Amino acid sequence: MIPPSIDGHGLPPGGPVFTMAGVARGMRDLLPVSVSIVIFGVAFGIAAGSAGLHAWIAVLMSGVVFAGASQFAALDMWQEPVPWVPLMLAVFAINARHLPLGASLYSWCGRLPVLQRYGAMVLLTDANWALSTIAVERGERDVGHIFGGGLTLWLSWTIGTGLGVAIPGITLADVQRYGLDLIFVTFFACTLVGLRRGRIDDLPWLVAGVVALGSVWLLPPNWHVLVGGLAGGVAGMLQRGERS
Amino acid sequence: MSSSDALLVVALMAVVTLATRFGGIWLMGFMPLSAKVEAFLRYLAGSVFVALVVPAVARGGEAAMVAVGVSVAAMLVTRKAVLSMAIGVAAAALFRALFPGIY
Repeated sequence: MIPPSIDGHGLPPGGPVFTMAGVARGMRDLLPVSVSIVIFGVAFGIAAGSAGLHAWIAVLMSGVVFAGASQFAALDMWQEPVPWVPLMLAVFAINARHLPLGASLYSWCGRLPVLQRYGAMVLLTDANWALSTIAVERGERDVGHIFGGGLTLWLSWTIGTGLGVAIPGITLADVQRYGLDLIFVTFFACTLVGLRRGRIDDLPWLVAGVVALGSVWLLPPNWHVLVGGLAGGVAGMLQRGERS
Repeated sequence: MSSSDALLVVALMAVVTLATRFGGIWLMGFMPLSAKVEAFLRYLAGSVFVALVVPAVARGGEAAMVAVGVSVAAMLVTRKAVLSMAIGVAAAALFRALFPGIY
């Protein structure tokens, strides 16, 4: 998703506010999305159990991290000794997409008191960003909408994870028999299909894949995610410069 | 992984992620994102996912290829992520049941 203009176009008159009514509207607007988030949460809960996380750690992670893709990535690196630096850099790289999302909301939220400004960001994700951005266009000026939308998503994700880890009696043998160890890789493959904007992604993604594969052989374990991702990001940036 | 390590991992992940949520609007306060940086960040997410999938498939063997191939095909047809994941995982389970020697 590409953030729209960040220069304050389309802001409704009267200036921004943060009210409970806005929170309620945001919560309601994100309800239709919440069903699929609950199911994703269940999938994460099962995958987390398969990766060896305690049930309560998985639910806690969903509650305080609240960023599915990076949580799935963490499962891939859930090992002893903990690969601290590669893991945290991967989390940052995956969630760095929040930066342009937040930046695009500056014209709306940037002048509010600190608590309201950052309160609106604390549960920011792709989904409530998208729907709140649409809401602005039809006249919404309450940044509570962003927070409320995030609240619906947060509840769905955390409850879904709880349901997933609560499914009883899944043993390690079951995990392989039912292909549950492959949930995380199908998650990323499907995310990529949804994310692809067209041929413009081909070169960066090819670079990312090749560099990642090479890094598996040439670098210490777990660095391939970050190195491949950075290579793809740089390729995309250079390609963009080439064409403009 | 010990519980204290796991807790620390979760806490650090939370801090890093919150920084990305706050960072966008914070940076804009004194240094708007340039078009170049924005392009980089936009490509970064997709590239990280590619960098996760490709080695995982290479390492995971035939069953992982089946899972990814089938789920991507299902996603292209249905555009429903959770359904496509389920179909891909089920296909891999079927593959393992049919060819127990291969992983």
